[in-house]
Amino acid sequence: MDARIWALAGISLVTVATFYLGYRSSRTASTTQDFLVARRTVRSRRNAAAVSGEYLSAASFLGVAGLVLKDGADALWYPVGFTAGYLALMLFVAAPLRRSGAYTLPDFCEARLGSRALRGLAAAFVVFIGILYVVPQLQAAGLAVSNILPIPTWVGSLVVTVVVIVNVFGGGMRAITLVQAFQYWLKLFAIAAPTLVLCMLFIGGGGLRGGHVTGLSEPLPPVFTEHTTLRIETPVLLEVEDTVNLVANGVVDGDKVSGSAYWTPLGSPYEVDVGTELHFYEGSAVPVVVGAPITNDLWLAPSTSGSDLVTTYSLMLALFLGTMGLPHVLVRFYTNPDGRAARRTTLHVLMLLGLFYLFPILLGALSRLYVPELLVTGSTDAAVLKLPTRIAPGLLGEILGAVLTAGAFAAFLSTSSGLVVSVSGVLSTDVLRGRVRDFRFATAIAGGAPLALAIVLRPSDISLSVGMSFALAASTFCPVLLLGVWWRKLTWVGAAVGMVVGGGLVLASLVLNTISDFTGRWAPAILGQPALITVPIAFLTVIVVSKATPARMPADLAQIRLRMHAPDGLGFVRDRAVARFGTPEERARMTDGRHRR
Amino acid sequence: MPGHKRVAVMSPQTRLAHSRRRLRGRWRVPKLDPVGAERAAELYRRQRTLAVAPLVVLFVGILGLPLVFALFPGLDELRVLGVPVSWLALALLPYPALTALAAWHLRRAEDAEDLE
Repeated sequence: MDARIWALAGISLVTVATFYLGYRSSRTASTTQDFLVARRTVRSRRNAAAVSGEYLSAASFLGVAGLVLKDGADALWYPVGFTAGYLALMLFVAAPLRRSGAYTLPDFCEARLGSRALRGLAAAFVVFIGILYVVPQLQAAGLAVSNILPIPTWVGSLVVTVVVIVNVFGGGMRAITLVQAFQYWLKLFAIAAPTLVLCMLFIGGGGLRGGHVTGLSEPLPPVFTEHTTLRIETPVLLEVEDTVNLVANGVVDGDKVSGSAYWTPLGSPYEVDVGTELHFYEGSAVPVVVGAPITNDLWLAPSTSGSDLVTTYSLMLALFLGTMGLPHVLVRFYTNPDGRAARRTTLHVLMLLGLFYLFPILLGALSRLYVPELLVTGSTDAAVLKLPTRIAPGLLGEILGAVLTAGAFAAFLSTSSGLVVSVSGVLSTDVLRGRVRDFRFATAIAGGAPLALAIVLRPSDISLSVGMSFALAASTFCPVLLLGVWWRKLTWVGAAVGMVVGGGLVLASLVLNTISDFTGRWAPAILGQPALITVPIAFLTVIVVSKATPARMPADLAQIRLRMHAPDGLGFVRDRAVARFGTPEERARMTDGRHRR
Repeated sequence: MPGHKRVAVMSPQTRLAHSRRRLRGRWRVPKLDPVGAERAAELYRRQRTLAVAPLVVLFVGILGLPLVFALFPGLDELRVLGVPVSWLALALLPYPALTALAAWHLRRAEDAEDLE
């Protein structure tokens, strides 16, 4: 019970701090430009902290450690890809995107290609990707809170939604910027401090503690560190490397079992149904979910087979190009004062992310030793939260656990607030008229609709794997952005067809993959990570269709393109947001008329 | 105070001009003068050229590492302070490398813009 009180205190502190910072910075927000792009006044360091705070979602805070626990060396590619995406953003997109003067991603599409239809399509995709992203965040928050308190899961989702909506309601992007920057440092502390303490305890305690655990390089499976009883919540297929003696109550391989059982390598995989209880003895080998490396030496070595290599490359491509297609990341680059600051932001982001990702990797490796039972249930995301009390039983472990829980909660808050701002920015300017009250109304929708979905849908229904949502972003917005900035002959027809084809292919492979999971796993591995196929097809489609419709090139093309690449010093920063939402004075200042200045 | 809105005092002509401008809301692409346009065009080509080198380095690094692991499985046996080299190469090396690459490109890109 003590641990729960600590964790609850941590969550409450994060919530109060978030509220306070949001409230403080909302006081100066009054215009549409404040709400959309924080009046383009965010300096590069602050913006970089905010980008990182928003980007490090639960998938990074909890998921990376869980992936390392399950997949070992192969999982190390995820954080590398998450980070490398910002290099691509810096090389090709950041500065020209800011210099275009646009205020949302759909607005960029219209500014560049001059088509209202494309703008509408882009707006639809932004809302779709945004909601697809928010729902798992809200569901994960609900689960995290219901693990602490005996309350239904929707309460946690509701709390996060309310905090986010209130903040965004008060000051939009203006309010969110400071909150997200704060939450990056909070998350860094919340993962770094416990990791360092746990590592010191691990090393101080004599490393592997004699014969209790399997060394990470031995050709043996991990072992249970104590008698463990597990309840299977989702059906799993389990594999064993050696004979395992256990007690099973429930349904295994379709037969009802009750009492002690022997699992052998010959009999595996074992299909365990929901509600089955498995009891393992201390020191016995841990069965793992099919597909994950069984023994620790396999876990330690990067996989080298051809198909794994293709999957790795496909994942890297999705992460590398997907980052620049994420609307909630891009919208933060519109808040910089100029193109140069936008470029500098990415450099700082690279540093901040690299610093952060060291810690989840360490935690993942430690959890292979101390919480191997998560390999049986498959809920490896819980590793970060379960580890502290296992290494340091007692008060210290409880406090460390509470700090990590608070960090995870900050991750839910910052990511969902970024997503809600980007979705409501698009809704308010493309569907509504773009006044402040429209933005507030859109916020209620952008927060309320995902909340309803999060409550109605079961967690497994919608939660796209991280790789999939990046593949979707890489196959829709990435080609339009890259070619829009660097290729003269892009037309809006090409962009639209490319987005539909790319997005459609990713969704189709998602559907096929889900079907194959239920009907015997016949789908090839590439369907689970289709970027290597869908991204080139999307690019090709855009190029071919654009070449076929040269008449649709915008009339003032040369001017538009030059402006994206003109250095800030030429005095361009003429702002589409000012043109549309500014006061008459502001707009008078940016026109070229006789009365200028 | 509700109902107490501040109003800018201006001549009727100015008010007329402002309200006209508000009606004509369409955003027009501002024009660059010929010199500026030429410089912008040149910068566009230059930035494109500059981006190639970091991209190649990145691709060689990212596509190369899995290949290196596949070609030299012996790397897993090699340890530094008990940690396999492959883990060091994947967990530690990429982040400073990416940052250095980004810093290098940032400097070159900004230098190109600063040129007179």
